[in-house]
Amino acid sequence: MPGPTILRTPAEDALIRRYPAERPALPGGEAAAAVRDRAFGRFEVAGLPHRRVEAWRYTDLRTNLRQIAPVAGKADEGRIAAVPPVVPGDRARRIVVANGRLVPALSDLDGFGEGVRVRSFAEALAAGDEVALAALEGPLLAGDNVAVSLNTAFVTDGVMVDIADGFELDRPLEIAHVTDGEEASAVSVRNVIRVGAGARAMIIETLEATRPLAHQVNVVTEITVGDRAEVDHIRLQLEPAEALSLTTVTVEIGEKARFETFNAALGGAIARAQLFARFAGRGATGAFRGVTMLSGRRHADTTLVVTHDAEGCQSRELYKAVVDDEARSVFQGRINVPAHAQKTDARMMTSSLLLSEGAEANAKPELEIFADDVQCGHGATCGALDDDLLFYMMARGVPREEAEAMLIVAFLGEAIDEVHSEAVRDMLIHRVEDWLKRKG
Amino acid sequence: MLLEVRNLHARVGDREILKGIDLTIEPGTMHAIMGPNGSGKSTLSYILAGKEDYEVTEGDILFDGESILGMEPNERATAGLFLAFQYPIEIPGVASMTFLKSALNAKRKARGEAEISTPEFMRLVKDAAARLDISPDMLKRPVNVGFSGGEKKRNEVLQMALLEPKLAVLDETDSGLDIDALKVVAEGVNKLRSPDRSFLVITHYQRLLDYIVPDVVHVLSAGRIVRTGGPELALELEKNGYASYARDAA
Repeated sequence: MPGPTILRTPAEDALIRRYPAERPALPGGEAAAAVRDRAFGRFEVAGLPHRRVEAWRYTDLRTNLRQIAPVAGKADEGRIAAVPPVVPGDRARRIVVANGRLVPALSDLDGFGEGVRVRSFAEALAAGDEVALAALEGPLLAGDNVAVSLNTAFVTDGVMVDIADGFELDRPLEIAHVTDGEEASAVSVRNVIRVGAGARAMIIETLEATRPLAHQVNVVTEITVGDRAEVDHIRLQLEPAEALSLTTVTVEIGEKARFETFNAALGGAIARAQLFARFAGRGATGAFRGVTMLSGRRHADTTLVVTHDAEGCQSRELYKAVVDDEARSVFQGRINVPAHAQKTDARMMTSSLLLSEGAEANAKPELEIFADDVQCGHGATCGALDDDLLFYMMARGVPREEAEAMLIVAFLGEAIDEVHSEAVRDMLIHRVEDWLKRKG
Repeated sequence: MLLEVRNLHARVGDREILKGIDLTIEPGTMHAIMGPNGSGKSTLSYILAGKEDYEVTEGDILFDGESILGMEPNERATAGLFLAFQYPIEIPGVASMTFLKSALNAKRKARGEAEISTPEFMRLVKDAAARLDISPDMLKRPVNVGFSGGEKKRNEVLQMALLEPKLAVLDETDSGLDIDALKVVAEGVNKLRSPDRSFLVITHYQRLLDYIVPDVVHVLSAGRIVRTGGPELALELEKNGYASYARDAA
């Protein structure tokens, strides 16, 4: 009797054909290859996620990912060098990862001083570095996640950043992910950032392209925040409106540490930003925030899982989306509080502003609480601009479009105001204003 | 004539609220409209300002000789019409100064003037605020957020002072004010009286009219103006109440 026939989509077929072809060129030795094989095996079994897979319910890749772009070739260094900094005036030291490869010539690798070591992930793997290999094996926090499995299988490079105990970065460290080329291409990047005990850093990740093409970008960033360390992480996702953007951040937060992350989801036809956080030591605080602006038929998904795996930690989540036209926003937020995580203080809030009849916002907050001495809460709101506010402003002479713009900036500003960098805040407000102008 | 309301009928949903209002206001005059709850006073103010929820079914409103019924609220405002809200609205996240500057610049733009310079704007606001006992701290907050009832009303008068309207409609500006706050607000309004500015003061009680003395008093009842007279009419209403008008209107 013949076995069941597995029906695969053209995109799945393309990936299955691609893996053996790419495998010999991928970095690392036998051990790394074994890790990749296992990751790709997980993908082969599961296929692309679809709406019957709860974690991907609103972002159906099986239906929406029709074809797989070719693996990105070499980027043109001249064009990459010509890309202006995303955050003017932030004094950041930049590390450039173009088409999935660290570009040393365009990166400030030595500018950080004694306390910071920046390496190529591919080179570390090739040298048999155990940290790199463990990182490839996978951020355990993400579990069996298709985006991460595909990243593990196809990753070409990325950066490893080690910040020494007690070291304080005097300016932001920016990892600029740029996709370049005449045709749409696929890119897989893995970054590993380890911040030592008591160290302080601001890390800005930007994602963009030199041309408006339907690139397929998959970036996984694994962050470890040492005890008492303070880390601000900002991700500015600015891919072309045609692109597929899959990004994953995992973070382990040490005792009495502070970690804050902010995601601006401003690009991509389909963008999914995943965040997996674990409080690993007592008395730490974490803040997870983001803004999304969507128009046309764009789709942006913010999925986060925060696990309080230690006592007395505080987490705050605030995500705001403005959705216009036929666009669609998704927020899935989950807070896990196991029985031993007493004195947890966790609050999650998501708000969506719908600017048109056809706009859609989906919010799925989840709390799983086994401890009995905790304060946890979540809220979700969704609505249009308040007519009474608009009338009040217009009754003072302010034209409708300007009044709407002021209210939208105010709505997103609640999250943007929390970013600990004036340069980033200014840049974001300008982006919001530009978006509003283009929207008309 | 600055304002001419002709046979104005208006409704919300199926409910007819204004049933044929006729009202004319000449430049430089102070008019008061008094009337019982539910007579249509606030509706009239909202319709003058252009709120969408109301449907005008008959009649017209001429401002400076031109019909304003087809105009957006902001166009009416830049044409010189101002509504001081009964319940000024809090706008979280919108800075007071940004809002005031946008409003002021909208008016200047409508008149073909250049945008106001920041130093000039600061000076204007500072002077007007000082006259109304509004602290610079209040203006650092988002519009009306965290303001007391009295502060909100003073903020309305501040906006009025900056925008220099031809006609200011004050909708129950006295409601929720204690006597000291009422005096400050009334003083602010009186300072703005001029030969080229008119007022329409809507109030339930005569008390406000002790401080802002009207030239003309109208009684609104059940959607119609049922009587018009001089300031003495307000005193008479205070003594006898609205009961007789409610009967007449019915």
